[in-house]
Amino acid sequence: MTQAPVLKVENLQTRFKSVQRGKFVHAVDDVSIELYPGEIVGLVGESGCGKSTLGRTIVGLEKASSGRVLLDGVDLSALSGAALRDSRRALQYVFQDPYSSLNDRQTVGEAIDEALVIAGTRSPEERDRRTKELLDQVGLASAVRDRHTRELSGGQRQRVAIARSLAVNPRVLICDEPVSALDLSIRAQVMNLFLRLQKDLGVACLFIAHDLALVRQAASRVYVMYLGRIVEHGSSKELYDRPSHPYSQMLLASAPEVDPRIEKHRRGPLMIGEVPSPTNPPSGCRFRTRCPLAVDDCAKALPPSRVLSPGHTAACTFAADLHRGNRTALVQQEMSAP
Amino acid sequence: MNMLNPIFARLNKMPRAALITIGLFVALGTFAPWLAPQDPSTQSLLDAGLGPSAAHWLGTDHLGRDTFSRLIIAANTSLVSVGSVLGVAMTIGILLGTIAGYHRGWVDDLLMRVVDVGLSIPSLIISLAVIGIVGPGYWTMVLALALAWWPMSGRISRAVAVSIMSKPHIEALRVLGASPWRIYFGHLLPGTIGAVMVYATADAGTAALAVATLSFLGLGIQPPTPEWGQMLVDALPYLESDPRQVLLPGLALTAAVIGFNTLGESIALNRIPKPLTRRMLAIRRAEVASWGKENSDA
Amino acid sequence: MHDEPLLEVRNLTVNLLTAKSAVRPVDGVSYSVRQGECLAIVGESGSGKTVMNFAPLGLMPTGVTTMLSGSVKLEGRELIGLPEAEIQKLRGKSVGFIFQDPMSALNPVRRIGRQIAEMAELHLDVTPRAAEARALELVKLVGISDPVARLRQYPHELSGGLRQRIVIAIALAGEPKLLIADEPTTALDVTVQAQILRLLKDVQRRLNMAMVLITHDMGVVAGAADNIVVMYAARAAECGPVDKVLVSPRHPYTQGLINAIPRREDPIGSEFRGLPGIPPTLGAPIKGCALAPRCELAVPACSNSRPPLVRSDDSAVLVACPVVNQGKAAA
Repeated sequence: MTQAPVLKVENLQTRFKSVQRGKFVHAVDDVSIELYPGEIVGLVGESGCGKSTLGRTIVGLEKASSGRVLLDGVDLSALSGAALRDSRRALQYVFQDPYSSLNDRQTVGEAIDEALVIAGTRSPEERDRRTKELLDQVGLASAVRDRHTRELSGGQRQRVAIARSLAVNPRVLICDEPVSALDLSIRAQVMNLFLRLQKDLGVACLFIAHDLALVRQAASRVYVMYLGRIVEHGSSKELYDRPSHPYSQMLLASAPEVDPRIEKHRRGPLMIGEVPSPTNPPSGCRFRTRCPLAVDDCAKALPPSRVLSPGHTAACTFAADLHRGNRTALVQQEMSAP
Repeated sequence: MNMLNPIFARLNKMPRAALITIGLFVALGTFAPWLAPQDPSTQSLLDAGLGPSAAHWLGTDHLGRDTFSRLIIAANTSLVSVGSVLGVAMTIGILLGTIAGYHRGWVDDLLMRVVDVGLSIPSLIISLAVIGIVGPGYWTMVLALALAWWPMSGRISRAVAVSIMSKPHIEALRVLGASPWRIYFGHLLPGTIGAVMVYATADAGTAALAVATLSFLGLGIQPPTPEWGQMLVDALPYLESDPRQVLLPGLALTAAVIGFNTLGESIALNRIPKPLTRRMLAIRRAEVASWGKENSDA
Repeated sequence: MHDEPLLEVRNLTVNLLTAKSAVRPVDGVSYSVRQGECLAIVGESGSGKTVMNFAPLGLMPTGVTTMLSGSVKLEGRELIGLPEAEIQKLRGKSVGFIFQDPMSALNPVRRIGRQIAEMAELHLDVTPRAAEARALELVKLVGISDPVARLRQYPHELSGGLRQRIVIAIALAGEPKLLIADEPTTALDVTVQAQILRLLKDVQRRLNMAMVLITHDMGVVAGAADNIVVMYAARAAECGPVDKVLVSPRHPYTQGLINAIPRREDPIGSEFRGLPGIPPTLGAPIKGCALAPRCELAVPACSNSRPPLVRSDDSAVLVACPVVNQGKAAA
């Protein structure tokens, strides 16, 4: 990509005080990601990997303990007060739960109007016109304006939330599991809305999710996160066809198939054990306690990120082998063992 | 008229007796100056200690003043003084509580420690201390009681403020770039005031009792302004000879306090879903019967 | 395997009455489950799938009056009309429950071992010592490592997957013949889901239980269930063996659900498939076919009368769509 990234996160670290005195939980540990204009990028991982915390830190809902967030090259940590609020507006956030992210007491029109006022649109006529335009963009009939948000269904609410975010003209949308709380048959409507926004408005999207199939179809690039660190990153095609980190391989293999003829006869995979506590992550490579390929060296130091092909990196000593497909069979074999 | 419907709906859920008592209290208290048949301060030693009669519906007190008028004006006094106390206390409490809830961190810790100190000293002791230093008087009493009352509303507002601030729709406003003023005045404050007002209604009874207690001790409402506690202490010497003089203000005070407490309790307990009354059940059954049965999957 | 189904539901209709409204979340549904079989009941919010399994066993929230009609037979015994005292004896003993959120299903202030043993004591009528032994057995059965130590722990000390295993252990404590699992893996990570599903299948086979799996996740159905009932707006849209229904869905709603799952072959950036509109909210029974407003095959006749659930061109599969059935018959 020759363009400059619209969002660049450099070595971001967010930590929380742990229940245990004096210790910290490094929810986000030295994460660097990039987002280019108009692209949808996926961020996948399971619960406790820090993907939500990363999203929240980027938009300012959590405080980073170190690292930088650059929006169009501007370092947001160097700003404060009104200047920070104004610059940060280009980064918007779509929440997971559409039932709590809107104010139940407001009508749809009031919610969008408030966002427009915050964005600085002064004249009521202009706000009125923009509200209609926004509702149209998210596929809602303008009659919805006068209804209270609490009367709407989950899918409708999510659209209103998206319209509200669009009211301030963002360049980047951070979407945290935006369709997980919606019914299956409605998810497509909201996903297609994201695709349309990307095409029509050029909004870049960081799509945080745990549903791999969903992410694969929507995103052009994907980051995989585990216990606060990025373990693999590459284009959707590369990642799904040639996953080069043991965790990515297992994650992809765990996703159930809908065809019973295939699903019933799968012998593996079974991820061994559970995610270790984020307060006491394993030394060296964090995945080593569950990894079938782990050797002694894995405990000594964090594995460096290996470049496997342009744009495809993985943080594993055996990444190159896995990429070539050499050890994949070994991983599968380990997983099939009951 | 449509606007009042939700209010009526909420009122309907509250116990009738309590509502009527409080309604009476508020009505009498508000319109007392016009309703009182006679001037409560007019003394007439010739008429002292009379029982109920046509001229004096509830009789007279030891100084010949009309008891009925005094009771009603006392309601007014109570209403105004309790209202003032709660008003001042809530204002201080909401202000400090919302600031603590909004900022969190050291501001929160500091303010809440102040609240803790306030809560640990019994309210009457605080009021007595203040009045002891400054001397009795109407506004002194109001301020002294407000000083005792604000910590609790401070704590409640802080709790409500914290819960509101952590709600996703407030976070959404922060992400949109809303200024702290907008969040504070547009969303935090309105939400908090609602919750604290509910608590205030419940607590009004205790406040009325506190005013009466101070007046009973001679440190609250000063004569000649009538007040139930004050009337009680005046009537004490006549407890055996003319118990009516003690009973009447006592009953009035009791009724008001119980009324408010019951109301407060019903508001707190309002959350439990009501079981179906037989009438409702019958209506619903009829509704279901009307659906009939379309051909089903056999 | 016995010939008589363990659970037989015929024409079940559930009406729920509250102070505010009357709702019919289940409208004339029939299905059966044999011992050793697993039936998946699939539907979205508002389909009535959970009420269908909980109402006959008296598990509706307080403040709601339940009206049941039709027949629900467990081991040949009719449940509808049974007094609460009798149904209480069945819960836990003949029917085990697994709920969606393991954290809310467990008592946070009691040790794990105590919670499992309690169930065993209650239903098996054994001494506390024997119940503790049984608890240990069960914890081993559900594949928990270091079982003795685990029994002394509290729920908050365990991860989500482990908690769900404990919930399963508790459900099995009474040695039930039927297991009802309500979205057992929805609250878990995808890697843990696979483990839990594998465990459920395993346990079901070993103890020869019948299982009803309530879910909205087709992947879960594909791996674990033998038969499937697809629910939409209180009615059954399609039912049959999983091998047939998931591979060639006939009812437009089933097709919509299966199409909604992104496939590997779909190019990146392509449109997602789903159904337009929103599922109806439960209330009075809908006239005609409930899917009509969202269905592209709909004809005016669809809104007139309720589509009957009849055999399709494959006799093992029942479909409630006259348009589809007609088309097939013609062909």
